[in-house]
Amino acid sequence: MKKLVSAPALFVGAGVLLVIGALLAFWYAPIDASSMGFSQKIFYYHAPIAAAAIAAFGVAFVAAIVYLRTQDLLWDRLGYVSVRIGLLFSILVMITGMIWGKAAWGVWWAWEPRLTTFLLACFLYAAYWVLRSVVDEEQRRATYAAVFAVVAFVDVPITFFATRFLPEGLHPVVVGPGGGGMEGSVALSFAVCLVGMLLLMAALIRRDVEIELIKDRVTDLKTSLGG
Amino acid sequence: MGGWAQFKAIVRKDLIRELRTRDMLVSMILFVILAMIIFHYAFTVEEGSDLTWFTGGMLWVTFIFAMLLGLNRSFAQEKDERCLDGLLLCPVDRVTIFLAKTAGNLVFLLIIQAVAVPVFALFFIERSFLGDLLPFLVVLLLADLGICSLGTLLATISMNTRSRDLLLPILFLPLIVPVLIAATGATTLIFAEGTGFGSLAMRMLFLLGFDAVFLVAAWGTYDFAIGE
Repeated sequence: MKKLVSAPALFVGAGVLLVIGALLAFWYAPIDASSMGFSQKIFYYHAPIAAAAIAAFGVAFVAAIVYLRTQDLLWDRLGYVSVRIGLLFSILVMITGMIWGKAAWGVWWAWEPRLTTFLLACFLYAAYWVLRSVVDEEQRRATYAAVFAVVAFVDVPITFFATRFLPEGLHPVVVGPGGGGMEGSVALSFAVCLVGMLLLMAALIRRDVEIELIKDRVTDLKTSLGG
Repeated sequence: MGGWAQFKAIVRKDLIRELRTRDMLVSMILFVILAMIIFHYAFTVEEGSDLTWFTGGMLWVTFIFAMLLGLNRSFAQEKDERCLDGLLLCPVDRVTIFLAKTAGNLVFLLIIQAVAVPVFALFFIERSFLGDLLPFLVVLLLADLGICSLGTLLATISMNTRSRDLLLPILFLPLIVPVLIAATGATTLIFAEGTGFGSLAMRMLFLLGFDAVFLVAAWGTYDFAIGE
């Protein structure tokens, strides 16, 4: 872990890109021509935050598998921290999604597939936290958390797929089949915001892992001092 | 003993233990029928309210909650009497234990459903759905398998924690939502319109996929979940 880029460097990179991304999003990318108009600008935050949340849960998934194979607690710390950051980003997704929903559809909450899936993901990873808090023994807590992280990450896309059985959704499909695609200036602004947000996520995880490791050292020292 | 013999032995043990006392089955059946009565009062707004479009939802919510009760019980006994320690001391593959526990829970769920579904039909379904029994049974089996495999894995984890039965619903309910969506939709369509295999194929395939994914996921992680 130590050999990777340091947390401050990641924070600086994220900060620079997010500022450039904001400038691009508000002054370079055109005002949306459809009914959404200026309120569409939140897209440059909402979607990258969602991507960062999914990426953080992905990191937790990989960390869980590596932990189960190696039983090295470092990976447990990484998984734990990733879930925490992923949860934070998911809550931001819900908030920005609701703001956008109010502007675009006129309601704060719609039972729309993606929003609903994110809401469930929030509850899943909140359950991960509860699970951690009710197991005392270190190794056992790490193992259960890892098993649950694997199952949860597998379940989320399945839930999203299942929501297709429900009545039609409202979400704009921007990229992919049926999507409108993006203009060059929109795509560039979006890409900068996306990379910035992912860097911010990585920086937060990097910093929190360090904090967890320091906490572990403090605990070890206390134990060795007979506290 | 080969894997198959061990599997049979564990399932047999679970069934005999339950059939001797029957406390779990009786409570679960009472719970399921009571839940239907509660649903009737909760959803009937005026004389003769049409509940047809709620039927699938009522049925699966009831089964999922009943299963939560059953799962907690099935592992509480193992834990309290230290049966599980004995089981783990035997030279049995952990995956065999998982499959046997899943099968045992599936049998209990099916017994409950054998009683509950006719009562449910009597209470809520006006048109006869005997002709659509086959697609209904397929949906039932596929959804049950998903509920039992995921439930068994999570119950194994939750029984080893401090809060036990409080934890299981929090872990289980968000994960089971896909099954709930597919099974509820399919069941409601069968009850309301007598929809056959053709239009339910996607949902059935989905349930089959869910079962496969979580059987494999549990297969890979059960070693860790059940502990040393």
